Amino acid sequence: MNDAKHPDDLLLRVEGLSVGYLSPGRAPVHAVDDVSFTLRRGEFVGLVGESGSGKSTLGFAITRLAKAPAEITAGRILFDGSDIASIEDEALRRQRQGGFAMVLQSGMNALNPVRRIRDHFGDIFAAHGHVPANRRTERMRELVGKVKLDAGVLDRYPGELSGGMRQRVSIALALSLEPQLMVFDEPTTALDVLVQHAVMETIRELQREEGFTAILISHDLGTVLESAERVLVMHEGRIVEDGPSRRVLEQPQDGYTRMLLSHYADPRAEVVSLPGMEEAAVRRERGTSRAESAAARSATDAGTVAPSVATRRRRADRAVIAEGLTMTYPPRKRGEQPVRAVQDVSFTLEPGTSLALVGASGSGKSTIAKMLTGVEQPTSGSVRFGDLDVGRLKRRELRTLHRDVQMVFQDPYAALNPLHTVEYTLTRPVENFTGLKGSAARRRVLELLETVGLSPVEQFAEKLPHQLSGGQRQRVVIARALASDPQVIIADEPVSMLDVSLRAGVLALLEDLREQWGVSLLYITHDLLSARLITDRILVLNQGRVVERGATDEVLRNPSDEYTVRLLDAVPDPRRAGAA
Amino acid sequence: MTTTHSIRTADRDGAGGAGPLRVVLRFAGTILSNGKARIGAAILGLFVVVGVFAPLLAPYDPTANDFASGEGATAAHWLGTTAAGEDVLSQLLHGAQVSLLVGFVAGGLSTVVAVLIGLSWGYLRGFVADAINFIVNLFLVIPGLPLMIVLAAYLQGGGLIMIIAVVVVTGWAWGARVLRSQTQSLRSRDFVTAAVFSGESSARIVFREILPNMLSLIVSSFFGAATAAILAESGLSYLGLDDTSTISWGTMLFWAQNSNALLTGQWALLFAPGLCIALLATSLTLINFGVDGISNPRLREGKGQR
Repeated sequence: MNDAKHPDDLLLRVEGLSVGYLSPGRAPVHAVDDVSFTLRRGEFVGLVGESGSGKSTLGFAITRLAKAPAEITAGRILFDGSDIASIEDEALRRQRQGGFAMVLQSGMNALNPVRRIRDHFGDIFAAHGHVPANRRTERMRELVGKVKLDAGVLDRYPGELSGGMRQRVSIALALSLEPQLMVFDEPTTALDVLVQHAVMETIRELQREEGFTAILISHDLGTVLESAERVLVMHEGRIVEDGPSRRVLEQPQDGYTRMLLSHYADPRAEVVSLPGMEEAAVRRERGTSRAESAAARSATDAGTVAPSVATRRRRADRAVIAEGLTMTYPPRKRGEQPVRAVQDVSFTLEPGTSLALVGASGSGKSTIAKMLTGVEQPTSGSVRFGDLDVGRLKRRELRTLHRDVQMVFQDPYAALNPLHTVEYTLTRPVENFTGLKGSAARRRVLELLETVGLSPVEQFAEKLPHQLSGGQRQRVVIARALASDPQVIIADEPVSMLDVSLRAGVLALLEDLREQWGVSLLYITHDLLSARLITDRILVLNQGRVVERGATDEVLRNPSDEYTVRLLDAVPDPRRAGAA
Repeated sequence: MTTTHSIRTADRDGAGGAGPLRVVLRFAGTILSNGKARIGAAILGLFVVVGVFAPLLAPYDPTANDFASGEGATAAHWLGTTAAGEDVLSQLLHGAQVSLLVGFVAGGLSTVVAVLIGLSWGYLRGFVADAINFIVNLFLVIPGLPLMIVLAAYLQGGGLIMIIAVVVVTGWAWGARVLRSQTQSLRSRDFVTAAVFSGESSARIVFREILPNMLSLIVSSFFGAATAAILAESGLSYLGLDDTSTISWGTMLFWAQNSNALLTGQWALLFAPGLCIALLATSLTLINFGVDGISNPRLREGKGQR
């Protein structure tokens, strides 16, 4: 460890720390297992891991915010020379001023909606009394200035600010205690892609200017490598890699780190490939399907093994045609302009092809999905699927549409009813759409599970959603969409909630379904890398308007609209960080 | 986010499958893991035993009126006798039957009505929802007690069925309102939209997808309704609106009041049934503390942790 050279510089030393989740009558589950590391003053360290790696638990433990049933079971946390693992509540409260502070992923929701921003600062100043009363307003202005906000926000209520602004406010609140150590727990994950980029920029600048020590907790190795000087990679409760960012990028020591790194690529590159996935255009030129090329390269990654796609009964033969789609919501308050969510969008999804709909949040892409599936009716314009006029369907007729047009949802944790088994969830659409009953329906359900690569199928059929991982749940969601044997699948950000290592598997599955079942795919995303991998054509949306369209690889290699360029810049790429 | 998820997972792992019996057992287990709820269940259990075995436990026939009237506590009559010469203890034991019966039947029926109306009100949109909205608001603004008295006076002589009917009519609206707002929040969840995509009918979505996710709320609404029903029954019989020859705690209070029991020093006549009503209502409220733990796992993590 190179920190040992500057013993005086040490701000935090964690020794053999274990944090367990205790539940009565069961052995404690150790989310953090015998972790040791040190932080020098002024260091910017990234802590990376996938969900369940214990990174947040560790972050909560070192700021002493861990709550029951999590408990520090062993080890010491030396902060500025004193052990804080066991200090009492009041001492801990005082320690928060000039000590350590934390910014949470949902920090923007931590503001009290009925109090102005000014009052939030006032509370903190009053609780710690470190700013004299006559200097408080001045200090508040200074703090919001630091996070690049106008002093006017002080008199606003949280509800009047955007998500990004609220997250900046919560950073300013954390800063108001002049902490020596700031822990950022996924500070930008809940924000829109473009806003994420800007907020991360502010955090980097702040750290340089203020000189506090920072820990950035993130699931995204790309973001961390772009920002931090040193990276800790966490896996199953242990730190598997600890080194300067450049070395982690160029010579990763641990297999797990190498795996994480392999899932990044620049969507602007000439040829893009990820483990088990090659760019659609390249494969098409060669005339091979994804499954074949993956088999040729003898994919060892279990997550991307090609599913057996043997049960297809028909190929897509009808196109989805959207013409002049416009959606205008009535103004939220009297006197405001009506919200134009989608304006005059036209496109055709040809049978058996894939189309990406990309844009930041608020670009109208999800509203388009709702109109295509008949959940909402367009203000003007039309959606046609074969001879169905989707905008005019009655509730009962929607069923006819849903036989052919199905949806894969963004959040696999919300899209499955927690109380139903996988079998029940899949049996319902099979019975409703194919008329199969009893053992025939069950056979079909098992076939579907086989198709999405969930085997042994009998075991998976009996499981409840909470017994499945995120990737497995998303496969169940996809299986449900396939149950009616649809022609079109609309996938709304199907991988954005999944860990990087699981994404490739789900993307590969969608691609295989399209190639081998002949399903048309409308892929909605903000992630241009995945769009490049699995779609033929792309439509870039900005504030409800199409700003760019064309073949995916050409648009991403030579973007002509400034908005597309901004989206491309927002894709985290560790290699770019290394080059800079 | 990771942490809360793993807690939930750990909670449910032990329970395994989702059969109805398992669900009931899991619910009972969760409720009883709460100390207050255990006390409530013990009190309720005692009353149930007393009610069921009243004919065996009671020293005399509760309607026998051939004892000396207005006696205080004696070895033969532990709680004394009424002005009409009946044994108070025997009446008290038999009275538990009526309170429990009305409590559970009327509480159950008004919960059923609340579930049916609340869920469809929350799920449907447009004209039907507006119509239900009007009716429920109507029932919410009419003062409950006067309505009860008017109804009971009209249906004079209907006995217990009348009392139950009155309690159900006046008691469902609040529960419906609570269940409706929960339904509205669940209906916007992805799994409900997904069920629409699976071709499910509205009725099936409401009762198979949404309802099971709010069982704890329904259970707690049932205990609340049962408590209200017990109190309403006592109140109505105390006012003499019940058939006054039925033996219930409310009618005991009615007769005690009629015979000026306090003035004659027979405090047990008022005190004993009053205490029983209060205890029974308290026991159900205590059980409801445990029900909270079903919907909110954080409430059942045990003591001393926050």
